[in-house]
Amino acid sequence: MKKYWRSLNELQGNLSVDPEPEFSTTGISEDEIKGKAKTTRRDFLKLLGFGVGYATIAASCETPVNKAIPYLIKPDEVTVGIANYYASTFFDGHDYCSVLIKTREGRPIKIEGNELSSITKGETTARVQASVLNLYDSARYKNPKNGNTDISWDEADKAILTELNKIAEQGGKIVIFTSTVISPSTKKIFEDFKEKYPTTEVVYYDAVSYSAMLDANLKAFGKRVLPDYHFDKADLIVSFGADFLGNWISPIEFTKQYSSKRKPEKGSTKMSKHVQFESTMTLTGSNADYRIPIKPSDEVALLIELYNKLAAKAGAEKLNGGKAIVNIDTLASELWENKGKSLVVCGTNDVNNQYIVNAINNLLENYGNTIDINTPLLLKQGNDAEAKAIVEEMNAGKISAIFFNNSNPVYDYPEKEKFVEGLKKVALSVSFASSKDETSQLCTYICPDNNYLESWNDAEPKLGHYSLAQPTIHQLFDTRQMQDSLLKWLGKEAQYYDYIQQYWEKEIFPKQNGFIDFTAFWNQSLHDGVFETKTVSETATFNNSELTDAANKANKEGEGIELLVYESIGIGNGTNANNPWLQELPDPVSKVCWDNYLAVSYNYAKSKGLELGDIVKVNDKFEIPVLIQPGQADETVAIAMGYGRTNAGLAADGVGQNAFTLLDNSGDYKNYVISGVKIEKTGKNHKLALTQEYHTMQGRDIVHETSLDEYTKNPTAGNEAHVKHEENKPITLYPGRTYEGHHWGLALDLNACTGCSACVIACQAENNVPVIGRDEVINRRIMHWMRIDRYYSEQAENPEVFYMPVMCQHCDNAPCENVCPVAATPHSDEGLNQMAYNRCIGTRYCMNNCPYRVRRFNWYQYTNNQKYSFTEDLDLSRMVLNPDVLVRTRGVVEKCTMCVQRIQEGKLNAKKENRPLRDGEIKPACLQACAADAIIFGDLNDKESKIAKAYENERNYHLLEELHTLPSVGYLTKVRNNSKKDFIS
Amino acid sequence: MQTKLAYAQKINRLLALFLLLFIYNISSVAQKSPEENFKTCSACHTIGKGRLVGPDLKGITEKFEEEWLIKFIQSSQTMVKNGDERAVKIFEEYKIPMPDNNLSEDEVRALLEYIKNYDPNAVAQTKPAVKANPNFLENNFSYLPKNTKGIFYISIVLLLLSIFDLAVTKFLKKAVAIHIMIIGSTVFLISMVVYQEAVNLGRYQGYEPDQPIAFSHKVHAGENKIDCQYCHSGAMESKRSGIPSANVCLNCHTVIKSGTNTGTKEIAKIYKAIDEGKAIEWVKVHNLPDHVYFSHAQHVNAGKMDCTECHGDVANMGRIQQVNDLSMGWCLDCHRKKQVDFDNKYYSNQFKKYHEEIANGHRKGVTVAEIGGQDCAKCHY
Repeated sequence: MKKYWRSLNELQGNLSVDPEPEFSTTGISEDEIKGKAKTTRRDFLKLLGFGVGYATIAASCETPVNKAIPYLIKPDEVTVGIANYYASTFFDGHDYCSVLIKTREGRPIKIEGNELSSITKGETTARVQASVLNLYDSARYKNPKNGNTDISWDEADKAILTELNKIAEQGGKIVIFTSTVISPSTKKIFEDFKEKYPTTEVVYYDAVSYSAMLDANLKAFGKRVLPDYHFDKADLIVSFGADFLGNWISPIEFTKQYSSKRKPEKGSTKMSKHVQFESTMTLTGSNADYRIPIKPSDEVALLIELYNKLAAKAGAEKLNGGKAIVNIDTLASELWENKGKSLVVCGTNDVNNQYIVNAINNLLENYGNTIDINTPLLLKQGNDAEAKAIVEEMNAGKISAIFFNNSNPVYDYPEKEKFVEGLKKVALSVSFASSKDETSQLCTYICPDNNYLESWNDAEPKLGHYSLAQPTIHQLFDTRQMQDSLLKWLGKEAQYYDYIQQYWEKEIFPKQNGFIDFTAFWNQSLHDGVFETKTVSETATFNNSELTDAANKANKEGEGIELLVYESIGIGNGTNANNPWLQELPDPVSKVCWDNYLAVSYNYAKSKGLELGDIVKVNDKFEIPVLIQPGQADETVAIAMGYGRTNAGLAADGVGQNAFTLLDNSGDYKNYVISGVKIEKTGKNHKLALTQEYHTMQGRDIVHETSLDEYTKNPTAGNEAHVKHEENKPITLYPGRTYEGHHWGLALDLNACTGCSACVIACQAENNVPVIGRDEVINRRIMHWMRIDRYYSEQAENPEVFYMPVMCQHCDNAPCENVCPVAATPHSDEGLNQMAYNRCIGTRYCMNNCPYRVRRFNWYQYTNNQKYSFTEDLDLSRMVLNPDVLVRTRGVVEKCTMCVQRIQEGKLNAKKENRPLRDGEIKPACLQACAADAIIFGDLNDKESKIAKAYENERNYHLLEELHTLPSVGYLTKVRNNSKKDFIS
Repeated sequence: MQTKLAYAQKINRLLALFLLLFIYNISSVAQKSPEENFKTCSACHTIGKGRLVGPDLKGITEKFEEEWLIKFIQSSQTMVKNGDERAVKIFEEYKIPMPDNNLSEDEVRALLEYIKNYDPNAVAQTKPAVKANPNFLENNFSYLPKNTKGIFYISIVLLLLSIFDLAVTKFLKKAVAIHIMIIGSTVFLISMVVYQEAVNLGRYQGYEPDQPIAFSHKVHAGENKIDCQYCHSGAMESKRSGIPSANVCLNCHTVIKSGTNTGTKEIAKIYKAIDEGKAIEWVKVHNLPDHVYFSHAQHVNAGKMDCTECHGDVANMGRIQQVNDLSMGWCLDCHRKKQVDFDNKYYSNQFKKYHEEIANGHRKGVTVAEIGGQDCAKCHY
């Protein structure tokens, strides 16, 4: 039997005897141990006196006066106490999502996916879920600034216009330095700006660059675009370092497609096969059927090798330079068998690699089948070479004015010093940053943009697929939308809202024929949030004329230790680093939060004597702690980007190190791989907030998995323990519970779950789960009501990875319930394990008795506590709280309620409409956020429901069912499509 | 959109105004007499006194056939939508849609008969005169818990006296039994008072604060019979019944600028609030703790409860008074006794046992508690 382990300690049997020291001193803060916080006799007397006095006052005083303040004039669409949803669009220059914004009494409090979008299909990611918190960030700029001085908009406009006109007269160059813009109307404004100021150049610069891929497509198809991928049509997926489930181009879309092919059922056991070549363990790699750790420098040789093997079959010419790093004969044959049903993707920012990948897909006839170059994705438009040229020009003093939109090059440009030097030579620098960042700090003027929840906008993420954004709250501060600022400086009277409508009337309205009246079309599009046409660009054919050249030029040699700068799931490119929800989200793979680290391989650590948390110096640039990452390719290391912000706000500043400073910017493309890295031990150590050993279930039989072949033969394969348990059900003296009404149940399809953690943040947003900060996480007090356990199995060099979301199991025979001395956690008539916070006295017996470790103790009233908040303005950040869920106080135990507030709402709606409840009508927050459709919720008593069917599925089992806790949460056995053991060797 | 809204609001206001003027009760309960029903019509129509919002109804029974009139009166807009020529013509002439009337065909026939036989000279269409009521803001009842301060202080004095006498003065000689009796009973009384006060901590039964505007429910809900949900419109839909925004007040008070009891003084506060753009800060009477989730819709809509069951006889209250203690015991008492609307189709595919028992006649109804109404997570989450 396979051994599953969560940390190297566990693998080597070094795990401490009591891995959950909830009651031992290690779980208590330093102060408490040293007695600094001890209560003295005098304190006791003081408290006693105060208590008696308070009780007297409370008893004798008049009723406290609460005010009930109604609207002065209530908007027709608002019913106090009922949420309104508005369709909108999230795009921060990096991630795109069509969303619904839940507002209560005019306050946006939660982001949901918009099911009408054919791209994101109602799903979200952790970053999209967390974006609502950015609105209430105290680090936002509250008014325009000139340097450090607050100025009014009139003053700012006057000063900037004077300078602009002066520059225009002298013919000085003006640059709009922006991250990818997918808003067609904004691009039109840029055009207008160019018309008025002809010396203007718009430069697209992305922190995470797809420049090489765009250029490779330009070479291959004559179009500088990214194609659309169809992972749902691919039976065999081969990825070279592309983290398409986590970050790559359009992860929501790809996850949805991917997981739809990963749900084998009895009778139809077809499932896609996924092979991943990569150096560090990414989310995508951890989900692969076959994962092969390779050095980044070996990638191109392997690509050429693959190309040559396929070319041999296709009768095409071979390329120079292939090297069999691993034996890929079987892979090549299977790819060839799956011609037109396969997909090869690559995440490297190298034009030659990308060109060869295009050539491979062309050989495999994937274009037109699994890859659509004619309906391209427009989500990435950055051009590294142009950005580099601008920096050169800045340094040469050739640029007179620069406007920064949604970009922060002072932080994320590889040669930061050069950029800063150049910026100093620019006469007029204006930043549109909506919240504090490193670039705006150095700009002469800051003209803060609105948050996206306060803005109008449009977007075209995919050709012919439009979406609209609408404001859901009035500007909280004296900010102005970037587009409005530009329009103002263009001397136009029109607001951007009018502009966008005019643009749509002129450009987009003619593309449809459903509406005769523009207003009706506009209202419908705004209501839906999306408008999609079947626009297709000109058909392009593959041009391989430069292929031989590309193969010859490809950089094949790496030297020494190679370092990869990658994007993490939570923080991404660092734009939203000041979001405490994202900072506290444990990375799905490493389980570290509040830090980045140098991921090193198991063998490297062993040879250099490195241990977890040892601080090393990387390339003389910075010191960073080490994490031994199982699955990391030997002779490679990796660091997540997005950390090490210096002027972003309380949550982000000083957390981790800025890996962008390591990037190699010598070529035309930013190179995220650096070879010959110098790593020196410093002898210091740093404790990482690493949650992987928390909440352990003591290594019992938790993971059930099987291979596709086994499953095809026997649907209960891998799930034998459950079958055995069902056959020998324990005898009990207690009568079983019966549920006459509903019996709520949840099931998690472990095969579909990718571990992306969107559910964790969705739960946090829905249930007012507090953030506690790095130190408290180290104290094992992390408050997330649902966690994603990550298990490794097999050898530490390249383990298999297994994700398991765990929340309260709502056991029908719950161990927590009968140990509570005050009956604060009884069982409901609908099968829920309830938690009455006001009755809880905080004995934590329930936590101690819960075998699943899903109960959380609220130590310090975190939500209301300035000490544990990452904002300067608690009242502002509290605006995000869900008014339907209680904010827990200090000293109580809290846990997953299966979103009982949503259950109650759904039941009430059915009663109001005089109809039975529909299956799937009630969606817990985690389910709603899950792009992989891995979560199923419903009424187990309804035999036709999806959940009842999931429970009948042969793959279904329950966690620790041998304890006879009778959980209401089921798990569906993981099936891996990796039956061929010598597939790649 | 803007104009459409303003238009809708205007209609709202007009309707509301007439509702008030003609003392129209929104909730139609039992079958009413045609005279009663005509009160609704008279908001917009006269018989033989000329056009108002809608046409004069004199002679309509001759002008149109009965079948058509019945349909039109029941739902004129349906007919307009269906393109009935005459209906469209009337709508275009008068612009304001006639609201649907929930009347049976027989009721409409009776109404038409009434209109046909109506003699404008026989009945004087006058408003009943409303007299000023000096007690419009006072309540002649109080739910305040009994004041036990007197008992408490007297008991303490007696207790101290008897102890003092027992130990020092010995005024009552050889009467230790009396001393002990007094001590015992006063200690008992004191304990009872302390216990009662402690139980009532944080409960505010009988709470009746002054409000920023001398608003009287006696006048609005009592004398003028305005339906509760005309102002507290959220009760059917939302967890909150809602306190009406100032624009709802204006629906009537754009026309009624002076009240019978307070003249213009109090009503002017609404105009002031609107002019200054400052919302009216009412004092909240019914305060539930934050850890309780109470939904009006659950009780009023799904539970078909009457407002008075919790809020008391509001129609006879001047200032609003909290009549119940809103304690958890009070909630649960009701949940144990109250029967749910088990005919609601929501229950149709659950609780098979209860359905069978009802069918067998073994059971009359199902209480809230029997369907899980005592679960913590029904109210606490």
